[in-house]
Amino acid sequence: MKCPGTARAETLAGRPAAGPKPRPTMWVGALISLVASAGGLLGQTTTETTPVPSDQPLVSGYIDLGYRWVTGVHGSFDTYRSVVDLGSGPKLLGADFTILNTFLKPGQRFFDRINVRASDIGDEPYETLHLDISKAKYYKFSGDYRNIAYYNNLPGFADPLFGSGLILDEQAQDTHKRLADFRLDLFPNHVFMPYVEYDHTSDYGNGIANFVADANEYPVQNLTRDSSENYRGGLRIELSRWHFKIEQGGTTFKDDEQLNAGSGSTNYGNFFSPILGQTLDLTSLSEAYGVRGHSVYTDASFSANPLSWADIYGTFLYSQPVSNVNFTGLDTGNQVLLSEVLFYTGEQNLIASASKAPHTSANLGAEIRPFRRLRVMPSWFTDRMHSTGSSVGQQALKVDPYNEVPIASLLNSALVSNSNTAGMDVFLDLTRKITLRGGYRYVWGNASDVILPIAELAGLEQGKIRRSVWIAGLAWRPLQNAWVNLDFEDGSSGSTYFRTDLYNYQKASARGRYRISSALSMSASASVLNNQNPSPGINYSFLAHQESASFQYTPGDGKFWSFEGGYTRSTLSSNIAYLDPEFLIAEQSDYRDNSHEVR
Amino acid sequence: MCHEDIGKAFAKNPHAAVDRGESKHGFKGQACESCHGPGSNHVQTLSAVDIRNPAKFAPAEVDRTCMTCHRNQPTTSGRLEASHARNAIACTSCHSIHAHGPDGLVTRKPAEINAQCESCHIDVKATFAQPFKHRIPENAMTCVDCHNPHGSFKPGLMRMANANEPGCFNCHSDKRGPFTFEHAPVREEGCQSCHMPHGSANAKMLVRQEVRLVCLECHANLPISSGIVTGVVPPAFHDLTSPRFRNCTICHQKIHGSHIDRNLLR
Repeated sequence: MKCPGTARAETLAGRPAAGPKPRPTMWVGALISLVASAGGLLGQTTTETTPVPSDQPLVSGYIDLGYRWVTGVHGSFDTYRSVVDLGSGPKLLGADFTILNTFLKPGQRFFDRINVRASDIGDEPYETLHLDISKAKYYKFSGDYRNIAYYNNLPGFADPLFGSGLILDEQAQDTHKRLADFRLDLFPNHVFMPYVEYDHTSDYGNGIANFVADANEYPVQNLTRDSSENYRGGLRIELSRWHFKIEQGGTTFKDDEQLNAGSGSTNYGNFFSPILGQTLDLTSLSEAYGVRGHSVYTDASFSANPLSWADIYGTFLYSQPVSNVNFTGLDTGNQVLLSEVLFYTGEQNLIASASKAPHTSANLGAEIRPFRRLRVMPSWFTDRMHSTGSSVGQQALKVDPYNEVPIASLLNSALVSNSNTAGMDVFLDLTRKITLRGGYRYVWGNASDVILPIAELAGLEQGKIRRSVWIAGLAWRPLQNAWVNLDFEDGSSGSTYFRTDLYNYQKASARGRYRISSALSMSASASVLNNQNPSPGINYSFLAHQESASFQYTPGDGKFWSFEGGYTRSTLSSNIAYLDPEFLIAEQSDYRDNSHEVR
Repeated sequence: MCHEDIGKAFAKNPHAAVDRGESKHGFKGQACESCHGPGSNHVQTLSAVDIRNPAKFAPAEVDRTCMTCHRNQPTTSGRLEASHARNAIACTSCHSIHAHGPDGLVTRKPAEINAQCESCHIDVKATFAQPFKHRIPENAMTCVDCHNPHGSFKPGLMRMANANEPGCFNCHSDKRGPFTFEHAPVREEGCQSCHMPHGSANAKMLVRQEVRLVCLECHANLPISSGIVTGVVPPAFHDLTSPRFRNCTICHQKIHGSHIDRNLLR
């Protein structure tokens, strides 16, 4: 059952304002609703021709303010922060208002409409702000800002030492992610429509990460700080039967992660046992990554209806991201290089690396209608990514006050991934209410990965994929407000890239919805995926199915109250052979996931 | 006027621009006919059979009516390729053509966008009830942040970033690379090799509860398997009975790719 809980003005769209979000039980704050519906005070009528009807108020919408008291979190505060993380204090819980420019003549207006939406601002883990400004026939501007706080201090598995306060997942992170996106579309005429866009993404925060030495690892302070800027501009060309889009963009990226351990304290890491009578420790550390990246990319596409019985479309995408890295590291303590049984008291690392990954994708497809009830849709897609990199390192190990052992390294890497898909779908409109679908897809590709010089057990890896997929489906619309979709897919593979990939599989789903009245609707769905890879040494068996049913009752378009309920049951079972790393003994990995969701 | 209520609502609708003659396709003062076809007979007879009613069309026919003007959807594959189109989910399933207001054609508010998607994808909605998930239930994100309902050549209508890179990098740009030492599945299969982006019972939305099994289910080939599948032999002879080695990412921290270490240690 949900109820708005506070009086709100409707938006201009005539839709109810967004329903309340789930609040934790700790939420006991007062809620103030400031309804900014100034139509009676500020609304004006105008005799000018205007895209905005003159009977609309100048400002309409709502602003919700509130205060949250967190009265106490019982149990693990880290778990609370990792899963909920709601803070206390004054909040802007939500806002959604529209300003209509009805007080100026159309020719004198800078804008016709401004719409502002905001939610959860004020020590909340997900703050959002959205702004739209538009003027008909001239431009449309939209801006979006999000500030998402992410905290994770949970072990990645059942930690046997958790009760003693020792968390084995030493990757606690307290991160803030900020996303901003601004786009301006111009409408100089009906054919050419240029646009520009700017996106910004950044992360910063503190955490715990590990300094990994040869025989021990030491939890140390980790400072993350990275940001990415994305600039792009494009042109849409809309002719009567042909539409084109061409876009050119570029990105810049920087990452200045640091690991630090102050001198004056001794960190014994995770391995306490002496090696050849010596205890390993870390007494100081300073590591800094200086990652700088950039890329250019091109996006060109077309869609056309050259003949009354045929539509065609195609896309070409190209990107070439590049990274350049300078890494410096300095640490002191008592460490050992196991391969040489060499103890040292200090280490200095200087590494420079560079990599690039040109990536090309393209597709082409068509819908051909040889008969009124028959549609044939051939399609083709290719994706080719070649990543290469090189790294030059200079390491110096201080074995005593007077001697250093220099170690130099030069590594080169290459990863190639090419994949292709060709397919054909046929649709037959049996009646206006029943459409049958059948199709075939063939997927092929190859991949390789190598780091030179080859070391240890890792050599050149090569894989290929060959997969045939048959598709069948039914879309049935018994009533105008009811539909049922059935889909079935059967795939068989000659080879795959990874052991856990789809190999010989069957996928089926059924989904339906019935809108009994304008206020009441019901939905149901069921799906199953069965995947088997009987190859020796793999013996992968995977079965997942999910069944759901729900209903929604929204009398009066949900303006005052609505009621919804549903139930979902899902199970997943996976079984695959793997090798225990220590003795290469065959083991079995079983995973079961059963869930019920009632709402 | 017979359809006065529709007419009033339509005047506040973005399609009213057609009626004002702001469309290159014409129909000034006759916006109804842009979708419903010539209406003179209908006006004479007042009979429903004398007018096209897209609401009663087959979904593909509805789509064709819309795409007469809206061919240039912001997709990488065109509407035709979209799984929504293939499953006979017409444009009007999400877009209310006669509804009034700037949001009338389709909702723009995060809570309403998510509710609209969830009204059909109820199984996916349930997945977001898992303990570790993207922040869809809080409406800090919307389904269309990651999926393009109009079409994509990636499975699941996934959006792309920077032309043809996985859409996850739109937000997780620190995982984008390129790295000198790539972790192949990230490039070849995508993030969902190891993560369940809608929601998981496991920390970090991993596909398994124990991190070591996420890794070892792939890194478990005998040398003779080389060339058949990638993933190499077990990467080290660690003693998994020791808690120290049960979570591989304690040491292999740069699991998404490393700029400086071939073993993804830093």
